[in-house]
Amino acid sequence: MATVFYDKAAVEVTHNGVSEQLLATDCSLSFSNAQSPLYAIGSKGTLGQFPAGARQGDLSFSFLTTLTGTYFGVNGNIINSLASGVKMAASNSSEVSGVEIKFAGVSGSGYLNSYGVGVQSNSVSSSSCGFTFFGSGTQLPITGRLDNFAGQTIQTGKLATGVAHGRYTNLDNFATSLTAGDSAANVFGADYSISFNHNPVYKVGQEFPMTCLYTNAQETLGVTEDVFQSGLAFDSAANNLTLTLSGLGGNYGMEIGLSGAKQVSTAMSAGMDDIVRTQKNLTAVY
Amino acid sequence: MLGRIRREAEKITINNSGIQGVQSINAQYESVARPLDNLGITEIQYAPQGGQTASLQLNTLLINTLEAGYSGSYSLDVMQNFTGDIPFSGIIDYGTEKIYFSQGYLETYSVSCAIGEIPQTSTTSTIYGDFGTGVLFSEYDQGSSLIPSLNIPSYSSMEVNLDEFTTNRMTSFSVDIATPRVPIYTLNADKPNKVIAGTPIEVNVNFSLDVDDYKIKNMRLVPDETIFKNATITLKKNNSDTTLLSYSFDNMLLTSESFQAGVGSNATANFNLRSFILR
Repeated sequence: MATVFYDKAAVEVTHNGVSEQLLATDCSLSFSNAQSPLYAIGSKGTLGQFPAGARQGDLSFSFLTTLTGTYFGVNGNIINSLASGVKMAASNSSEVSGVEIKFAGVSGSGYLNSYGVGVQSNSVSSSSCGFTFFGSGTQLPITGRLDNFAGQTIQTGKLATGVAHGRYTNLDNFATSLTAGDSAANVFGADYSISFNHNPVYKVGQEFPMTCLYTNAQETLGVTEDVFQSGLAFDSAANNLTLTLSGLGGNYGMEIGLSGAKQVSTAMSAGMDDIVRTQKNLTAVY
Repeated sequence: MLGRIRREAEKITINNSGIQGVQSINAQYESVARPLDNLGITEIQYAPQGGQTASLQLNTLLINTLEAGYSGSYSLDVMQNFTGDIPFSGIIDYGTEKIYFSQGYLETYSVSCAIGEIPQTSTTSTIYGDFGTGVLFSEYDQGSSLIPSLNIPSYSSMEVNLDEFTTNRMTSFSVDIATPRVPIYTLNADKPNKVIAGTPIEVNVNFSLDVDDYKIKNMRLVPDETIFKNATITLKKNNSDTTLLSYSFDNMLLTSESFQAGVGSNATANFNLRSFILR
């Protein structure tokens, strides 16, 4: 029996020889083997259970939004860089390879399904992502066993300069401004998410796919502020926008580009002991 | 040589007004830096979690009030004026050192008195602006000053109107006012964009009695026996009929009563009245 405490259950992502251990706050991994019962006329009971599809795994984790460097030309962390690359692949119908993910001694080659980043005032930004492990050729989707997996311990304390934080993130470029109003909105927070659709290609005579293609992607950005835009245009202009998250100590910001974004909704809500807050949602598709 | 600082070298100034009769000051902050925790943690990194605030507690004898000329728009107690939406800034001096604070908002205000005492006020405030010393204090603004004068009230010259004290002797009272605050923080800022004066304001008035024929009520909320009272407490200048401060609350609900008896003391009762004021 392996007893692994959380401090020895790191999550590491590797792509094209570049690795990063994410500051994951939770992680879950599942492996499924779909089986369907078969019935036949003239037979009582079932003929048995038979495979209904290829084995596959799913992994999702939340992590603190780290600003650890530039990965493949994109600032931030390796997941942000991966999402940016996959977004481009989705828009170009390109074939992509999976990325190697290790979690507590278990590893597999995963394809990004979803990615999200949230930032609120005076709080550490958190992100989340999800992967599917399809396997490839004869390679199993997931291999390994539950075991300790962590980096080298460093016994010092320091300020977290490499983590995106609401205190240092300026999203004034997303503030709603009404020409007839008194001023631009105050921005209280933002939640970004993107989901990818992919298409694993299976061939006869082989359980696992020979390749995987991303087909399309849709991203959404919800901005919480204090101005309600009731004059939504029926056919509004598309905008290219950049979401920049920054951390303590003036670190370069992590950038997320939204290409051809349109505002699709606006809302406002009230709760006890709080001001009325508004939210607008922007979407972009690839 | 080791030195020490005594009360004569300490003072507090709020909005340029020297606060008199101070019995104790407690000013403190607790850093909101918290260690980040993650799966496979390898080092301790600290990041701020939540808005950074400080707190200020002040206990004073109520011996200085504003002059009557202020009474049109101010309470004559300097600190009571901050139960509204006015922020305050100030300085605590100790020896040659100073603690600066800004954007203070009163959270609670209490006044109490017992037989043989001078009325005292206690306040707790939250500092949403800056607190301490250092480079953050390059700009420092204070509100307009209120200048109090020596006016000493006394337990012997106060008036309490509650219809209970003709046969039962009141030995102490307290008035506690809680004024909620709602700070609104935006992105890219560590001070609130605004601090909203929340509502309702909760008022609790507590009395202690040496009882004669005081009747403890039924604890059930029976509509016909629910007790609502109007309470007015008037503090007057010692040996004088000059009114200094008056606390008046209508339709307060009787929310608790207690009775104590002992071999070495008179029978006593305490009761609490509570109301909420919308603003």
